Amino acid sequence: MAAGAGTPSPHGAGPRPLVIGLGSRGRHDDALGLDAVDRLEPRLQGAGEVARCSSEGTELLDLWDGRPRVVVVDAVRSGAVPGTIFRLAVDDLPVPPPFRSSSTHGISIADVVALARSLDRLPRTLVIYGIEGERFEPGIGLSARISPAVDRVVEEILEEIAGDSRDDARSPEARSHA
Amino acid sequence: MTERTIAVNYLARVEGEGALRVRIHDRTVEEVELKIFEPPRFFEAFLRGRSYREAPDITARICGICPVAYQMSSCNAMEQALGISVTGAVRELRRLLYCGEWIESHALHIYLLHAPDFLGYPDAIALAKDHPEAVKQGLALKKVGNALMTLLGGREIHPVNVRIGGFYRCPSREELEAIRPDLVHALELAETTARFVAGLTFPKIEEDYEFVSLRHPDEYPLADGEIVSNRGLRIPPSKYDETFEEIHAPYSNALQSVRKGGGSYLTGPMARYALNRDRLSARARKIAEEVGLEPIVTNPYRSIIVRAVETVFACEEALRIIDAYRPPAAPFVPPPDRLGPATGYGVSEAPRGILYHRYRLDAQGLIQDAKIVAPTSQNQKRIEDDLRSLVTRSLDLDEAALTNMCERAIRNYDPCISCATHFLDLDLVRD
Repeated sequence: MAAGAGTPSPHGAGPRPLVIGLGSRGRHDDALGLDAVDRLEPRLQGAGEVARCSSEGTELLDLWDGRPRVVVVDAVRSGAVPGTIFRLAVDDLPVPPPFRSSSTHGISIADVVALARSLDRLPRTLVIYGIEGERFEPGIGLSARISPAVDRVVEEILEEIAGDSRDDARSPEARSHA
Repeated sequence: MTERTIAVNYLARVEGEGALRVRIHDRTVEEVELKIFEPPRFFEAFLRGRSYREAPDITARICGICPVAYQMSSCNAMEQALGISVTGAVRELRRLLYCGEWIESHALHIYLLHAPDFLGYPDAIALAKDHPEAVKQGLALKKVGNALMTLLGGREIHPVNVRIGGFYRCPSREELEAIRPDLVHALELAETTARFVAGLTFPKIEEDYEFVSLRHPDEYPLADGEIVSNRGLRIPPSKYDETFEEIHAPYSNALQSVRKGGGSYLTGPMARYALNRDRLSARARKIAEEVGLEPIVTNPYRSIIVRAVETVFACEEALRIIDAYRPPAAPFVPPPDRLGPATGYGVSEAPRGILYHRYRLDAQGLIQDAKIVAPTSQNQKRIEDDLRSLVTRSLDLDEAALTNMCERAIRNYDPCISCATHFLDLDLVRD
């Protein structure tokens, strides 16, 4: 559940960053985005807030309304090695293929970004982490080799939120394998 | 001799993914196989041995679009097994929560998934470039549905405030009144939506359906009721298994629901409207008349207008419930002190049709056996029947046109394959 949109930052610099986990808890690795925010939440200590989305993608538009800085974590199925981490800083480029087969229903994260762009509802800074999942059939629990990748993404997001000045314009890249 | 197969490996704009295979032999459609729904078998197994109390939250995970439906059908079934009945303000709050899900789901389907078909756009993104106002309207309407679900469900997706017997906590009058202005606006948007979709151009197709829906003595059906059809069926939910069955199609491993001794049937907005038009709220009935919606819709493409009329109903019903609301003395009806082995049956109207749950409990209230039949599973055979007649009439179309036509036909039914698998793989074989 999202904290109120646009909650002021204790540091006084406008709304805090929002990290959104996407996925479904009943389909194994599809839950990885939700698990990532579960692990992240206790470690944020006021530096940001989290939200969870298990519905379809357009939900994101409401969740990130009024948030200048947003990070989204989702499972992807691109054919890469399970556990592969993709990071994408959304600028004016179309969202690349791995994110077109992401797990959100009906409307993928790539579609949501394109839709948000045509409606002028994109956050000023939007970073999407995708982790290649292994199993998407009904079932509870992440695959063994996915969990460490989730931990790594949590660390990266913490750095990201800490104000690490990444080059936000770089294209997506496969970063590491589980 | 020519054989032709149409294969759609990714069905766009239906929730999740599925696959369609059509085989045409010497200008005869020999096979239509639609794999869009995987019954929630995993959850049926997962529920075994768990407490009756856990069913609403566990089954809500089956679908990201209609979690309320899963909660309501499971509550209905468990409450029947426990011998408790939920009435008054608590029951009204359930209807209110369900209105939120209908508004959210119908707005999503009308504007983002279905409308692009009628306006000649490949998807909502292309639609948004030329008609941003229409898409914004859809999103605004959807947002009000979500807000209602958040208010009553604890959070919009997979609501957690529902429990067997009612709610963990009921809202105050003030909390409900706070959302009233948004619903007034949503009602206007829903009426605008009905006028907009009624102005679209519809292919001229009529189908002969057996419509199946719930029916209540004086309400448009949402959270409960008897199961009725336009062919004389009228049964309580406990007779579902005696009336419907899931059969193996000869060419597929998928199970398909049929009337026992009969054929396919249709559940969802067209069925509800055909069987309950006399129970619509005043403005919903008025808008249906204004836009010229026939009393019984048998053109599946016109289901988009029925969804809009139902959205008007859901907004109006939500306002009625809020205005009449007095917080109940207790947020839930407690379970009995002593449980006995029992079986409970529950049905409710998910946005896309009736959702059936059956649970057998032991004397400790542990689930021994669970059966869940989702609306898309029930509609699957009916969708295949439509596709068969559609392809038979359109054999001279080229591959791309035929594929597009099949996809449109499937979207008419708003199938929820996210309840199933995520990834839809058309396979068109002509030989």
